[in-house]
Amino acid sequence: MLCQSGDKPWKALVMPMSWRGGGQKDEFLDVIYWFRQIIAVILGIIWGVVPLKGFVGIAVFCLINAGVLYLYFSSFQQIDEEEYGGTWELTKEGFMTSFALFLVVWIIFYTAIHYD
Amino acid sequence: MVHLGKSNLPDRVDPSLFPDTLLIVFISVCTALLAEGITWVLVYRTDKYKRLKAEVEKQSKKLEKKKETITESAGRQQKKKIERQEEKLKNNNRDLSMVRMKSMFAIGFCFTALMGMFNSIFDGRVVAKLPFIPLSYIQGLSHRNLLGEDYTDCSFIFLYILCTMSIRQNIQKMLGLAPSRAATKQAGGFLGPPPQAGKFS
Repeated sequence: MLCQSGDKPWKALVMPMSWRGGGQKDEFLDVIYWFRQIIAVILGIIWGVVPLKGFVGIAVFCLINAGVLYLYFSSFQQIDEEEYGGTWELTKEGFMTSFALFLVVWIIFYTAIHYD
Repeated sequence: MVHLGKSNLPDRVDPSLFPDTLLIVFISVCTALLAEGITWVLVYRTDKYKRLKAEVEKQSKKLEKKKETITESAGRQQKKKIERQEEKLKNNNRDLSMVRMKSMFAIGFCFTALMGMFNSIFDGRVVAKLPFIPLSYIQGLSHRNLLGEDYTDCSFIFLYILCTMSIRQNIQKMLGLAPSRAATKQAGGFLGPPPQAGKFS
């Protein structure tokens, strides 16, 4: 359910794998999606604890989120972006959900540590 | 609101600020599960939905594969075949949406009542502090019914919407209830750009 490839998501995050074949396309996009959510939670916690405030925090999150994923799929996994509809399709996979999750975690930690 | 002597808290900030923040996250999780639960009872477990969904996913994948292999020089026959398949898929997507209509009404009704209740409970209460000042057109939501001019005060509805956007989509994916990407892409032509959360709702 998290990803249809069983233990692949966790292996896929840390090991280069061969993502070939139609069925694996969705699985790779699932890996990208959940990787984004993990980044959102980690950055939300760090930004809330430091704290990093204002739109700078939001801008840096967007840059890191897009940048890390770009490095991941182009350099680490070395996939062909055209197979997935281009860099933009991969960049926007799960982005809005991860952004909302980042804001929630950021707000929670900021409120808890600096206003409670 | 009582100021309990915590010098880092402005007078108007309720000492129950953080518990309220956590409570709203919890409410959001519960309402997301409730929405999926209602949809499961009314829609997901029905044979009609299962059949339609499987059909849509199969057709979407088939159509996507066909579109990838088609070339500029492909004959009229090929293109007409694809158009017929697209039409069939559109009809199935429309039927799928009709099946979900039942749960949409039920959820809409429940949530209208719930939101009315939560809005009155949290009316005028600052439930979190925002680490940023929202854009002016969002302040109407983030500072809704709150006193003062401090726009880092967060209202219930703003935090609830953010929680729902993040939590509901993830719950759907975790439970395996989100439709496949191929189906969502093909449904876009009929329904417009699918929303990020609750793609087939």
